[in-house]
Amino acid sequence: MLRADSLRKSFGNVRATDDVSVEFGKETGEMVFIVGPNGAGKTTLVNLLTGHLTPDSGRVLLDDEDVTGLSPDERVHAGLVRSFQVVKLFEEMTVRENVRTAVLSQHRLTRSMFTLRDGHQEVEQTVAGLIDKFGLAEHADTVAEELAHGTRKLLDVAMSFGLDPDYLLLDEPTAGVSTREKAYVIDTIAEVSREEGVTTVTIEHDMDIVSEYADRVVALHQGGVHGEGPPDILETDDELRRLLLGVEQ
Amino acid sequence: MTGLETFVTHTLHGIQYGFVLFLIASGLTIVLGILDVLNLAHGELFALGAYVGFTIIGYLTGLVAPPTTLSTQLVFLGVVLLGAALTAAILVPVGVFLETTFFKPIYGRDEVYQIVLTFALLLIIKDVNKLIWGPSPLRLQDAYGGINSIPVLSRVGLTYPTYNVVIIVIGLVTVAGLFWFFNRTKTGRIIRATAINREMATAIGVNTGRTFTLVFALGAFFAGFAGALALPPRFASLDMGANPLVLSFVVIVIGGLGSLRGAFVAALLVGVLSRWAIWQYPPAELAAPFAIMAIVLLVRPEGLFGTWGEMG
Amino acid sequence: MSNRSLPGLVSRDGETRVRVTKGLELTKRQSMLALVGLLVVFAIPDIATVTPSLQLTVVHQGLLFGLAAVGLNLLLRHTRLVSFGHAAFFGTGAYTAAVLAAKFDVASFSLLLIAAMVVATLVAAIVGYLSLRHTGLYFSLLTLAFGQLLYALVQGQSFFGSSDGLPVRPGAARQPLIFGLALDSEAYAVILYYLTVIILVVSLVVMWRLVNSPFGNALDAIGQDRTRAQFIGIPVQRYVWIAFVISGVYGGVAGALYAMVQQHVRPGPVLYFLRSGDILFMAILGGFQTLLGPLVGGVLLVFLQDVGRDVTAYFDALTGVALLIIVFGLPRGLVGSLRAGGLLAAATRDFRENPAVVGEWISAAVTGIVEATRNWLRDVQSILGVR
Repeated sequence: MLRADSLRKSFGNVRATDDVSVEFGKETGEMVFIVGPNGAGKTTLVNLLTGHLTPDSGRVLLDDEDVTGLSPDERVHAGLVRSFQVVKLFEEMTVRENVRTAVLSQHRLTRSMFTLRDGHQEVEQTVAGLIDKFGLAEHADTVAEELAHGTRKLLDVAMSFGLDPDYLLLDEPTAGVSTREKAYVIDTIAEVSREEGVTTVTIEHDMDIVSEYADRVVALHQGGVHGEGPPDILETDDELRRLLLGVEQ
Repeated sequence: MTGLETFVTHTLHGIQYGFVLFLIASGLTIVLGILDVLNLAHGELFALGAYVGFTIIGYLTGLVAPPTTLSTQLVFLGVVLLGAALTAAILVPVGVFLETTFFKPIYGRDEVYQIVLTFALLLIIKDVNKLIWGPSPLRLQDAYGGINSIPVLSRVGLTYPTYNVVIIVIGLVTVAGLFWFFNRTKTGRIIRATAINREMATAIGVNTGRTFTLVFALGAFFAGFAGALALPPRFASLDMGANPLVLSFVVIVIGGLGSLRGAFVAALLVGVLSRWAIWQYPPAELAAPFAIMAIVLLVRPEGLFGTWGEMG
Repeated sequence: MSNRSLPGLVSRDGETRVRVTKGLELTKRQSMLALVGLLVVFAIPDIATVTPSLQLTVVHQGLLFGLAAVGLNLLLRHTRLVSFGHAAFFGTGAYTAAVLAAKFDVASFSLLLIAAMVVATLVAAIVGYLSLRHTGLYFSLLTLAFGQLLYALVQGQSFFGSSDGLPVRPGAARQPLIFGLALDSEAYAVILYYLTVIILVVSLVVMWRLVNSPFGNALDAIGQDRTRAQFIGIPVQRYVWIAFVISGVYGGVAGALYAMVQQHVRPGPVLYFLRSGDILFMAILGGFQTLLGPLVGGVLLVFLQDVGRDVTAYFDALTGVALLIIVFGLPRGLVGSLRAGGLLAAATRDFRENPAVVGEWISAAVTGIVEATRNWLRDVQSILGVR
């Protein structure tokens, strides 16, 4: 279980995260969605959980172990992986090289100085498998910066799964993706994470997607937890509806 | 001299040195903060200022009476300062030329090219100085002695060169002027806004291209001014740009990246501490500023006043 | 998979290739080029005896600065960090050898070299630890400052001979002993040269292995997106630090060899920040996106500097102009441009097809200058107007 324990973070006078305690992965492989209006502290929470930011107070617990003091790369190897809202890829590498970089890291091979980067059999097999699974085969040798937006998102997710996560935190994986591709991206994520038993925590603005895919919803407002529960709360909690619709309009 | 007197004299030397350093470092830091360019040729602009100053101040002081009585001495001082100001003014079009011709085309390119470009300009300006003024060091005859013959601190029983007092006063005025410019004038605020967020500035209608040119010209102006002011007590020489350049880096690191206030405090710190080092343990003179830098980096990597992009 | 017929030869896609090291297999053409290159390099001492314009020490120096530039390039090409203080490690290597020889009578070539590697590792570890707290331009600024710190230290201490420097003459010997042999000075120079070539080839192969390893891949990742690299589990700070140290060791080895070649070191030629600029320039000149480019750039620049300083007093400015041409016209450097068919290749092709194109170039240049002058005048007016 990934647990935020009374996390607080301020920027100047703004309390971006205000005493947030929340749990993800109560059941292994659950899909949790974080919703809330702009400025609710969604991305800050993800940043705190993954070590991109250090909390002013509070703890991050990963399977009951305190990881607050761990650096982002150490958290990755502990099973906590994230993606970014604006897709971050190794732009001058091909799709295959991007995925390989992640898988090499997962196998803790990046410290190897005198083997060949493409000479590890099991790594190459995993890479090929991921490329297939995410439908990237036809782009395998395309340089990342030349990919279409939707494909970039898929590559991003493929790399994240290449890290063999227990918990995957996705910051708006469908942002900027065309409506048609959206379903494909989120379907792929749902399918693969179910297959591999990965708990996903997804920030999402599209409420249709949330109600369709969510096992559980966590709503944030003004840095704090407004409420959490099954996706029904999107319909039943009037105040939450008002908050979210206020943004949608 | 009593111990106290020695202490005061060395400290004053340090303060004076700190002000000259600040003049150089301020230009470098605003260019770095706003244009995102590490201008290795900045030290050569300082040297160019000294050479141009040599010609202009030399010519102007030839026109007035030698500083023998108090009134001629004051006229002489005025002429020297006028010469320094003119020198700085001449460096403005030079800066504009460099920025529009060489820097404009490479903003946004890999930073290695930027650094190589400024390194190329360093080499070229150095040789231009050599071509015009020759390879041997030049000394401005009489100017330093002439101004020092005006009795200022000797009246309170302190043997301290009057010219250095003048530098301290000018330094103070310039510092005040710079802070006023960045905090109170519209242009200054536009520059700060551009430093903090380039896209935002463009969005609200700031002509960033022109702001960049202006900032670079401003940097050249202060480098030239510092060069001309630093000339009288010393020689203008081809290699005089290197040390101030490197010390400016030190000042920027200590003061905090992109902070003008930090640069000011750090320049005085470096100036005073390195003069104390000369007094107490001369071999440490060259290494002292770097030692401070290393300590600051260890304790506060962001520098004393490190606030990214915010000036003032 | 490869079927080995002869040791060192492999067949791939029906073509026989020469296997240099695991994964590095050269085609026939590449092997020929490499062979010719090596032969030329090996023949230099003989060529130098018959051609007065080509001096062995100049080529030797060029190879050594080139080696330092190859080291610098590990940072430049892969982690995208521009170090402007590489002379610090070159100088550390040189001064380690000099101090041990002059002050402690250490005469052994191998001992001097190993000691230089150890000290360069230490210095690079410290400088790297402090400089790598920042990235981008501030990193460049810090490396330059630390380089100058070493320069100031050496310049200010009589132990290091101040600005006169130190001889590299251990005790009674006129020069270091190579494998215990006391040689006459000509034989010493030639044997040292061959040793350098061997060390160089080994260093290049090691560098090739390194950049093609998973570690090299991680450095590439760090250079292209630091944040993402960290969030796929790469310990960015530590890896960059290791790369910095390796890059410094290359400089240290080159510096120690330089000291033994010159038999005298002074702070100016080995530690001054303009030297760091030279080393960076070599990488850019040859092409920093290639393995061999920095080496080619090193030999070329040192040779040009040697010839150029006799021809003109304004060699620095010429170097500067050459740099401008590279920045604006040949950003891939010489080796990179030859390979990629850049601007230079295109220009040569145009010229071959129609020599009259020169007229167009001249008119384009004139228009450019006129345009630039006009812009400049307008900007000066506008700036003065703003004031």
